[in-house]
Parts: sequence; C-alpha cells; structure tokens
Amino acid sequence: MPVILLDRLPVPNLRMYSAGSVLALSACVYYATQVIKDPDWGAVAEDIKDSNRSNASVPLGRSMGQFVSDVFSVMIREPICVWTMINMAFCWLILVGTAIQKLVFGELRVSEQQHLKDKFWNFVFYKFIFVFGIINVQYIDEVLLWCSWFSLLGFLHLLSQLSKDRFEYLSFSPTTPLWSHVKLLFLLTAIFTLSGFMLLVSVFVGFFGGFNTFAFMSAEVVLLSIRTLHVIIRYALHLYDMRQEGASSVSANEENRVWEKRGPIAYYTELSFELTALIIDFVHHLHMLVWSNIFLSMASLVICMQLRYLFHEIQRRYKKHRNYLWVRNHLEQNYPMASSEELADNSDNCAICWEKMESARKLPCTHLFHNTCLLSWLEQDTSCPTCRLALNIQTPSTSRIDPPDLQVDAPQPQRRQLNHFFHFDGSRYVSWLPSFSVEVSHAQLMRQDNAPASNSQLDAMARQVQQLFPHIPISTIINDLRVTRSVEITIENVLDGRLVAPTMYREPEVVPATNRAMSVWQASCDTDSQRNWDEFSVETVETEDTSSLGSRFSKSSSEREKILHRRKENLIQSARKRYIEKQKAAAAAKVELQS
Amino acid sequence: MAGSALRRLMAEYKQLTLNPPEGIIAGPINEENFFEWEALITGPEGTCFEGGVFPAKLIFPPDYPLSPPKMQFTCEMFHPNIYADGRVCISILHAPGDDPMGYESSAERWSPVQSVEKILLSVVSMLAEPNDESGANVDAAKMWRENREEFNRIAERIVRRTLGIPT
Repeated sequence: MPVILLDRLPVPNLRMYSAGSVLALSACVYYATQVIKDPDWGAVAEDIKDSNRSNASVPLGRSMGQFVSDVFSVMIREPICVWTMINMAFCWLILVGTAIQKLVFGELRVSEQQHLKDKFWNFVFYKFIFVFGIINVQYIDEVLLWCSWFSLLGFLHLLSQLSKDRFEYLSFSPTTPLWSHVKLLFLLTAIFTLSGFMLLVSVFVGFFGGFNTFAFMSAEVVLLSIRTLHVIIRYALHLYDMRQEGASSVSANEENRVWEKRGPIAYYTELSFELTALIIDFVHHLHMLVWSNIFLSMASLVICMQLRYLFHEIQRRYKKHRNYLWVRNHLEQNYPMASSEELADNSDNCAICWEKMESARKLPCTHLFHNTCLLSWLEQDTSCPTCRLALNIQTPSTSRIDPPDLQVDAPQPQRRQLNHFFHFDGSRYVSWLPSFSVEVSHAQLMRQDNAPASNSQLDAMARQVQQLFPHIPISTIINDLRVTRSVEITIENVLDGRLVAPTMYREPEVVPATNRAMSVWQASCDTDSQRNWDEFSVETVETEDTSSLGSRFSKSSSEREKILHRRKENLIQSARKRYIEKQKAAAAAKVELQS
Repeated sequence: MAGSALRRLMAEYKQLTLNPPEGIIAGPINEENFFEWEALITGPEGTCFEGGVFPAKLIFPPDYPLSPPKMQFTCEMFHPNIYADGRVCISILHAPGDDPMGYESSAERWSPVQSVEKILLSVVSMLAEPNDESGANVDAAKMWRENREEFNRIAERIVRRTLGIPT
C-alpha cells in the first residue's frame, strides 16, 4: 500500500534532489560564516565555552581548521542547519548507492528491482516498529542516532541482497566475463569488511550504553555479515565448480575425489549458514520481546508473528536435515559402492548429471549413479531414477504422510505458513476499539515438501465411480473425491446433479473466439481450392549448409547463438516451402480431377 | 546447485546440436541465461498438425535435473493437452510429488534421467495422439472427441499461422 502511494507521489529525480540538497547546505554554510564574521559572535561563543581560548576573539586571525570547526559549531546549534546536514548525508548515501549500482550492476533486472523494493519496505517497517515500539525512544537526538545507524545498515543490507540476486543470475550463464565476477566479489568483500567495522562500533556503543543496546545493534550487524559471507562462500564454490569444468580433462582421478567430497561440504556450509542466521534472528526477536515488556501492543504482536515464522523456518530446515541424514545413512548401509569391474562394464555416464563416473553407488536394480547425485534425488523421491524401482526407504518425512488417508491437500498448510494473516476485532471487547488486520508476507520461494507419492487409492475410487457414470470424465470425479473422500458421497453428488460433466467449466470467452475463427475459416475455405498457390513466392533457402550447421558445436557463445538462429530460420523456411509445394500439388490434382 | 545444472544443460545443448532429432531444434534464447530455452517443433507427419513449426519456451529450475522444466508454446495452440495460454500438460513434465489431475502413475513422471530431447519427443507424440482424459483445454478435448473435422480445420489454420502463410 505505501509503495503504491509513493509511486504516485511526484518524487523529484535524483539530479534535482542532490542539487537542492547541495544548495540548501551551501546556504546554511553561508549563513554560518555570516554569523561568525559578526564580532559579537566571538563573545557569545566565549560565554558558552567558558572562554578558555583568548585569541579566538580575534575573528580574522583564525586558521583554516578553526574556521571550519567554528562554522560547524554554529550549524550544530541551528536546528534548520542540522536538518539540512542530515538531508545531505542521505543524499550522499543515495548517490553512493547509485554510483555502486552503475559501476557494479549496470541496469537492474525487473526481479532485482522488485526484491529491492520489497526488502526496503520490509526493513523500514520493522525498524520503525523497533525504534518507536520497542526501544520507545523519547528524545529526538536518540531517534536521529538510531535512524542514521539503521539507514547505514539498511543500505548495506540492500546491497548485499542485490549482490545475492545478481550472483544467482550470473551463475545461470557459462560465459560471464571474469570482470563482472571480480566486481561483484569486491563489493561483497567490502560489505563484509564494513559490517565488521560496524560491529566494532556497536561494541564501542555497547560499552557505554549497556548490554541490551549492544545486543540489539550487534545482532543486526552479525546477521548482515553472515548473509554476506554466505553469498561469498557460495560464490567461491560456484567459481570452483566452473573452473573444474575447464580442468576436467587434467588429472581426472584426483579432481574427482575432491568432487565427491564437495557435495557434503557444500551441503553443510549451506545448512550451518542458514541455521545460524535463523537462530540469531530468532534470539534477537525473543530478546526484543522480553526486553520491551509490552506484551499487549502492536509491536509485540508483530514480533510474535515474526518469531512464529522464524520458528517454522527453523523447524522446516531441521526436518529437511533429518531427512537428508536418514537417506544418507540408508544409502551407505544398504547400497554398496560399485566395484571397478562394474564401473568398467558400465561405460555410460551418470544418468543424473551426465558426467563421467569414477566412483558410483549401485542400486538393487543394478543402476549406477554418482553418490551425491543419487543422494539429492532420493531426498525428494524414493525410487530409482532410471527404472522407477521403489526403494524401501522409510524417511521420517514420508512416515508423516504415510497413513493411507487421502492427504491430497497436504501442500496447502505448508504454503499458508509463509503468509501470516492476523485479524483483530476490537469491537468484540470494547465498542470503540478499532478492528484491523495485518498481513505479513514473505516474498520467498520455497520448495514444497514432498507431496504424497501414491494416489492409487484415489484412482481406484474414481474408477469405481466411473464404472457407474461413464459420461463423467475421471478428472472431474477425482476432483470431487478429493473433497468428499468417499465413493458414496460422490455418487450421491452425481445423482443429485451437483457433479456434472465439465462443459460447465468452460471459459465463456473461448467459445465465441473459436466460433469467429470458424466463420472466418468457412469464408476463406470456399476460395481455398481456387487459391493461386503460386502467389507465395518461396524464398530460395540455402539448404546446402544445413548439414554443416548441424555437425558443429562451436566453442564461442556468440557463434553458437548465430548458428542456432540460422538453423531455426532454415527449419521454418524449409517447412514453409514444403507446405506450399504440397498445397500446389493438391490444388493441381484437384483441377485435374475437375477437368 | 546452479553449477551442476549448468553443466548438464550445456551437455544437452551440445548433444541436441550435434545429433538433432528430425524436425526439432532447441537451445538457449540468450546465452546470458542458460535456463531459458526456445524450442522449435515440427508437427508430426500424417497428423492434423503436419508441416507446422511450433515455437515453445522452456524454463529450467535452478536444481535441474532434479525438478522438471516448464514448457509453454509461444504460438497459438488448440490441443486437448495444452492450456489456452500455451502451457503444456504432459506427465513427463510433472514432478513426482505433484499430480494436478490425480491419475498419473509415477512411472511416467519426471525423473532426472529424462532430458530436453525426451520431453520434446513426447510433445511431438502428444501432438499426434492427444490424451483426451487430461482436460487442459476442455473445448479442444471435446472437439477432438466429437467433431474431428472441425478440430482438423483449426489445426490447419494454426499450422499456416506458424509458417507465416495467410489463412
């Protein structure tokens, strides 16, 4: 909602804004110099500063440094000047941000912009609640200090998020120039170093401000640095992967052993980073709740919802990890590694990653796969990828969905956890209390847990119903069975006319469209037999080089793109030519038949 | 892990370029993003879609080949197993967990041993023999069952459109 409002507001563009800020600041500086030029000012200043420097009363004798510090002290005392200075600081931050964006990222993609916006408003919302709801600051200078702290922190958070998005995008391409990797890694390291510096600041502030302030400040900074470090390490692993691809021909045996080890290492770093970040966030929010002592307020409600979300995330991660351990143990205990003769017999690559197998695990159906590839597949499905032989793995997560009850709507509650909807109906308690609802949505893609693999029971029930009512498509019956979960009720539904064949479900606008198409068709159909097919001049296609195009896989990406494009053109042109020739032949045959 | 997905996609691209199946071309739209492909599929001979060259988009997930890609035709299509917006509904593209229609056995669903080539070949055979039990496009399924002549005419019109020949 606030985003929409802000989009409509006439926000001045960056150039205007920075020009205005600079102008305002210079006006303030001018004002300050005018003030200190006034001979009376020295006396005033003297009074305030207990006059411990006698020569300062001579305005013209001031050195440059003194001059600046005097100007500054005047400006600090004037509220308008203070606000201009704060504004200037924000302007600087925005300018630095834009410069970094231009230098490192270039044009932002749409999804990156959207992420950035979401993250920004989320951050502003939570920090607003933190400052005014939890810390409950009373003085304007405290508010200012917290605001400046959080704007710096938020700035780094946004940059780190942007780098993460960009890294994920860059990892989608094999041909990213080295330079963009270097730039991004440099930025990430800079963010990481700055967060270390901010941690020092929070230690320093905590030394004077007490443990709670320290904990509040440092938790955020630690979160930032953990996330940044996580991206850096993922990046390093990715670059290592890519490098390995280039070097795969060299000393394949040695490299492959490292490769086999790499899977668990990547998994455990991922796990530990995610869990640490979640736990720190959880403790941070718990601390806020306990410390604020305001259990019945909006702020504590928001914190509670966040806590609930974090708890579910931790739980989900933990379950996933248990599943992983279970599958891995099962794999190691029940399926032996393939012997070298078996490997030699099987000359194929691993069917999952299409790469060469130096070592492999053997399933009971004698199919061979890389250990890590097999593990990641079995985590989500317990059957052999090649022959679908069901493997007897009783994972903790499948035992959860094992009871033969029809759990078709299992994925839905999973989904609901992501968005919290809270409704408070105040009028139930006191008539003048307002009612409100808060929805916290987490824009985050999450894999759904394994849905139940077997729907055979549903199938059997549906067939039973369909034997009685063959005119109703099986999909409709299954849909109804999901709701009713009983053959009898579904049959009753059919008999009562509540369940009808899906002609009811058709979208209304499709029918007129096809009808219109039909009439156009019929109009042109009459003329079709007389259509002069010669009017379609077929461009001569260079079909002679299709064979050469098909037999090459170029090393350079631009050449590959060009070849692919040419092959597509060729395919369309030759199909067109064939089609027209065929129509010509058909028309000729028809004419012959008529004469 | 985008790295292994990338290597696998590269290998598939190479294979599809060196040994292309008859009438099928597929490759990344732009090599800056290897996870979005465009495929051209020639309509199978002896069917109502004969001669047409149908463009489709393939979007791969970052954990490919553990999860299946999504496929969507970018030209107009009228077929029982293709939604009105072009999305293709065949069992090979469904992850083992999800089952929108509720009757596919898991044997014909996605598994990492499937590949782009196998998907495209299944789509070609789907064009030839629609499965009118799964009602992605109910109108098309009904017309396929009850009024084959009209269905053939619409298919013919679509074929001409893809070739740039006025109908």
